[in-house]
Amino acid sequence: MIDSFPPGMIMVIGALLIPFLPHIVRQIFMMLLVLLSAYPLTLGIGVHTTINFFDLEFILFQSDALTIPFAIIFHIAAVLNIIYGAHVKHWKQHVAIMSYSGAAIAAVHAGDLLTLFVWWEATAFTSVFLILASNTRRSYKSAFRYIVIQVTSGMFLLAGALILLNNEGNALLTKFDINTLYGQLIFIAFGIKAAFPLLNGWLQDSYPEASEIGTVALSTFTTKLAIYCFAKCFAGTEILIAIGAIMTFYPIFFAVIENDLRRVLTYSLNNQLGFMIVAIGIGTELAINGAVAHAFAHILYKGLLFMGMGAVLYRVGTCKASELGGLFKYMPITAVCTIIGAISISAFPLFSGFVAKSLIMSALGKEGLVLVYFMLLFASAGVLHHSGIKIPFFAFFAHDSGIKTKEAPINMIAAMVIASLLCILIGVFPSLFYSILPYQIAYEPYDFSHVVGQLQLLTFAAFAFICLWHFKIYPPELNSTVLNSDWIYRKMIPGVLIPFLSMMSNINIKMSNYIIDTSLKTKTYLANIMTRDRVFDREVGKDGLIILQVFTVFLVFVLVSQFF
Amino acid sequence: MKSLIKKFGKINSGVLALCILFLILELIGHRYGETSIEDIIFFPAFFGFLSCIIIFKIGVSLRAFLMKDEDYYDR
Repeated sequence: MIDSFPPGMIMVIGALLIPFLPHIVRQIFMMLLVLLSAYPLTLGIGVHTTINFFDLEFILFQSDALTIPFAIIFHIAAVLNIIYGAHVKHWKQHVAIMSYSGAAIAAVHAGDLLTLFVWWEATAFTSVFLILASNTRRSYKSAFRYIVIQVTSGMFLLAGALILLNNEGNALLTKFDINTLYGQLIFIAFGIKAAFPLLNGWLQDSYPEASEIGTVALSTFTTKLAIYCFAKCFAGTEILIAIGAIMTFYPIFFAVIENDLRRVLTYSLNNQLGFMIVAIGIGTELAINGAVAHAFAHILYKGLLFMGMGAVLYRVGTCKASELGGLFKYMPITAVCTIIGAISISAFPLFSGFVAKSLIMSALGKEGLVLVYFMLLFASAGVLHHSGIKIPFFAFFAHDSGIKTKEAPINMIAAMVIASLLCILIGVFPSLFYSILPYQIAYEPYDFSHVVGQLQLLTFAAFAFICLWHFKIYPPELNSTVLNSDWIYRKMIPGVLIPFLSMMSNINIKMSNYIIDTSLKTKTYLANIMTRDRVFDREVGKDGLIILQVFTVFLVFVLVSQFF
Repeated sequence: MKSLIKKFGKINSGVLALCILFLILELIGHRYGETSIEDIIFFPAFFGFLSCIIIFKIGVSLRAFLMKDEDYYDR
């Protein structure tokens, strides 16, 4: 029975018991839930569980070559999240993380759009508590914006699903045509969650406001679920190449000037999603393998970087580059693990980023997309700048901030060490990693040209940074807010809408006053003409009434006489 | 050499040494790229260095437009 239970669902149901368990038992129980959730993966490829409801068939558990790598990495990430958050005694965040991870895993195994919609919304409603967990006014406001945007994404998905259901008689999760209405609605839904350009504001707004363990979980599931959905439904859709290229390109500049290091990582996340979107847009077997490999590797190294910054936040209380520096001597293990994450994301040979990114770059080269290729190459240098150097340098080196602290808790270190080892393992044994990708193709990342070219690119980009810093050209980090696309709905729309509504309100008040004033004047006028010696004076009213009655009778008589 | 290391720092000098090493490696073997432009000698090195400088320059110039006070949204 347990083997046909949809992966992830048991984690969502089991999360309901977490509040009632003591801390240590809870940690073991959560691990057990992840193991039980992973067990049905042994069934392999196929449709395993369906239910009928309102004459509709819901496919709760289906598995194919694309779902397997996502299922594996989501389960690994769930385990890492449990270990990383083990120092938190209160149950609230554990419930949120467990149900959020479970919902994301269940979503990956959905075989139809309506089932996907349920889990799509479940990921939103469970993950919002991780933002609220920071318990600040900023996080509260940010969580509100987050849930509105996530639910909006779900509404687009539902609309697309219902139109598809009406047109085709089923809402199976399959490849969709972007030129259809339902295809466009579903595309927008996925695009919001994948943080497309101008739809990305929620990512940089909310993730850095979450708790130290919350951001690690958030960075894993939501956006990668969107990547999975794009790979499943829109592989080979050419517009994705352009969108992805823009995504890789512009967040770099924002990341360079951003002061909050966790926010820098969210820009970096956006940039990395761009690589995956480009690969999905290309749609060849090599490119799809590249997108999946990149998503897999990215979950580990980006999670590792967020873990490092989370540990700094937990110990120091801030992640602002302007306030940090010199923490290496207090948090050496955290620093080393963060550096491994930084090296991995920068795609140095022998680390996971290299073996994943090489697939995408080779796919671009094979398709002859030269402009996009160089945009991504430029973005690769940018990744080194903001994630490879800026993150570890400003947190652990740069200058002595005067902060005295101690190493991260043992559970955090354990999670970071495991993630670091996985980053290296993938980099050193790429064939093992490639064997779980959707398509079995022969690819060798470690040839002379790839390795030397990449090493030249990265070391010279690093040398450029060193020169800028050494010769004091690099400006100091400043406490600031960097405007992003969320400015549109946080400042611009209120900036236009509030004065407009205020103007309408003023018009309304003036109109009301005018009507009241006119009514009063009329009333006064009528009262005046009814006073003594006026036409309707009550004293002369009796005579006036008689005259009126006679006049009325006369009028009726004249009218009647006209007909006869 | 010692004065360079002293002036430039150990780590910085190490990176510079690696840069030179990877340039020499290209001279030893035959490197080719995914595109023909990349086949130009030391192309990745130039591209990496220039990209980093361009990113820095654009980023810094964007400060004037995009950087606001920390409490910008709280006001």
